[in-house]
Amino acid sequence: MSFDPNDPALRRRRSRPQLARRDVLRGGVWLGVGLGAAPLLAACGNDSTGGTADGSTPYPLARPDKPVKLAIKDSNPPIDDGLDPEEGGTFNILNYAQYMAPAVMKNFGKKHNVSVEVTPYNNYDEMLAKIRQPGQSFDLVFPGPSVLSKMVYAELLQPLNHSYIPHLDNVWPEFQDPWYDQGAQYTLPYTIYGTGVLYRADVVTSVPEVGYDLLWDKTYSGKVYLLDDRQEAIGMSLLRDKITDDINTSNADDIKKATDSLIELINLVKVKTDVNAYSEVPEGTATVHQCWSGDAIAGQYYLPKGQTPEVLGYWRPSPTDYVIGSDVIGIPKSAKKPVLAHLMMNDLIDNKIGLQNFGWNGYQPPINKLSAGYLVDQGYIPKNLSNAVVVRGDFDKGHTFYEVSPSTEALWQDNWARFKAGA
Amino acid sequence: MPDPVSEKAPTKAPDHDRATRRLWPALALPGTLWLIALFVVPFYAVMSVAFSGQINIFNEPLPAWNPLNWEWSTFGTVLQDSFTPSGAYHEVWVRTAIYSFWALVICVTIGYPVAYYTARLAGKRRGLILALVLAPWWINYITRMLAWVNLLQDDGYVNKVLGLVGIPAHSWLSGSSFTVVWALAYGYLPYFIIPLFASLDRIDQRLLEASRDLGIGSVRTFLHVTLPLSRLGLITALVITALPMAGDYYTNTIVSGSPNTNMVGNQIELFLLEGPQKNIGASLVLVLSLVLMFFMFYYLILTQRASREATR
Repeated sequence: MSFDPNDPALRRRRSRPQLARRDVLRGGVWLGVGLGAAPLLAACGNDSTGGTADGSTPYPLARPDKPVKLAIKDSNPPIDDGLDPEEGGTFNILNYAQYMAPAVMKNFGKKHNVSVEVTPYNNYDEMLAKIRQPGQSFDLVFPGPSVLSKMVYAELLQPLNHSYIPHLDNVWPEFQDPWYDQGAQYTLPYTIYGTGVLYRADVVTSVPEVGYDLLWDKTYSGKVYLLDDRQEAIGMSLLRDKITDDINTSNADDIKKATDSLIELINLVKVKTDVNAYSEVPEGTATVHQCWSGDAIAGQYYLPKGQTPEVLGYWRPSPTDYVIGSDVIGIPKSAKKPVLAHLMMNDLIDNKIGLQNFGWNGYQPPINKLSAGYLVDQGYIPKNLSNAVVVRGDFDKGHTFYEVSPSTEALWQDNWARFKAGA
Repeated sequence: MPDPVSEKAPTKAPDHDRATRRLWPALALPGTLWLIALFVVPFYAVMSVAFSGQINIFNEPLPAWNPLNWEWSTFGTVLQDSFTPSGAYHEVWVRTAIYSFWALVICVTIGYPVAYYTARLAGKRRGLILALVLAPWWINYITRMLAWVNLLQDDGYVNKVLGLVGIPAHSWLSGSSFTVVWALAYGYLPYFIIPLFASLDRIDQRLLEASRDLGIGSVRTFLHVTLPLSRLGLITALVITALPMAGDYYTNTIVSGSPNTNMVGNQIELFLLEGPQKNIGASLVLVLSLVLMFFMFYYLILTQRASREATR
């Protein structure tokens, strides 16, 4: 099937954790009926499996310098070699909304005679609630390293059988044996992204050495946006103010200082928060927006008629200050079509299908062939936004958000709530 | 010889009375079940999470279904942080109260004359006016708010129209309390007008005529007859409007998005939809419910008092 990367109608982007219109509608119902009880009820499972509130966890917290080989239990083995793919029925995917190209799903369904359906979620909490629902079955899920250990510990994922995944060689070597899942026993990489600043290059005439300072520039008051994500916003402030290099810190003073810095923005530039940089900067609603690199790349497709991608600029932090992340693909233990799930995973890291998927959502897979130069040459990325492409060295020098203890997570949330309260 | 009819009557009447006595309460059964399913059970779930003292490996509070296991520390902290000036949630409570108050003032200022005109003076146009008042309900609330976002953009129609009369463009969407208050008033105005209209419509016309016959002018008739008689309807309209308004979080999210305009609903959303502290979110829900219940009870006392006075 031919794919035109310049066709705006085909462009979509990943829906990140946010208060999207769908959330607003849903949230309105929750607050209207039962005073917010429904999301609580969704969380009222019976997983009394050893959680602690004192900061310790019953599963290992993976770090690049402390890689984790996730356990494979006898009660949860991988599927056997050489099985025939399942046919007919529905192939259920649990994923962010608009995070996989419809053409990829359609072609897969046609090839294997199944109907591919996506159950969307807006954040990992929602994903975990859905995957744990008794009687619920999904064939593929897209978690992140920050929730992986607990998912494996709770036997929500099944181990992979690599005999079905010959394309694993296509991905960057570090993702063939990642620190969060050594040996790629449970996951394959899906996308990688960094966090920088997307701005209107026709309005911002001079970008400071530390581009985050644009967010503190009164000139753009009323048009300055932070990502509506506590880790990204507070983590950025930690790095900008050189409070610490540890963006997963559990030091209460450091987190408070970083948050205080964000609170300054409320009166200084009337800062706002959302995750719509991909549309708001091109449309001019925002002049400066903290932004994921995938959204910066997708921004070119949301420009008003007559404007070219040159009106956009992406400030990429120095390699040692770059916050980078990745999402992965896994197969739920409840999968009814595990062989097909392996085949779709294999497809998603195929050079051609991976490129097709990237062309639709703007988030690049860590596939060897899809270098910045290649993507620019192929017309997927304008030259002025080529710095938004994540390169291999970024993961060696940059910073990544890890899975942290509940008490650390609570500390970050308390500070984020303080910022959000407009204190 | 005894009358056969009079002999039968005493035996049938108790059966009939018994059946009637069972029928009327039975009619309340669907409503009762509905209330239990959609209010009592969810509310108890909220309490079980708010008073939970344990989390699972997914960082979610384990609901404490048994009240004997309830832990009050989180709720106590939330209560303290809500009502002490230096508390973490104090600011959002104050903002919620101020925004709701001014939005209600706007509702009264705009809604009362509309309800009064529709009920007392509209004549044949009453149906049309009511339809126009209800027209916004034909469109989803969120959709209407999103439409306003387009109108209020820096280069939107509102600024263009203001520009025509020489008023400079204003950044309506850059975290303005003014915009949020007007958006709340706009969104909830129909909820205010309809119950008030019903109340004004029920006022006995003869009372107004008697007032005029006694030589009292229209303004004094309004102040001394109409307004007191519509007081209960006015309070009903205020309560019906204030309840959802106080828990609203999507209106300010859409027309502002700034932390400076966040209300308590935003804090509840922050804690409930993501992160490990859903017990804080549930506690905030309980505190909000307590505050609203206080006003509800006040309203119920007023209606009971009015009912007693009416039957006196």
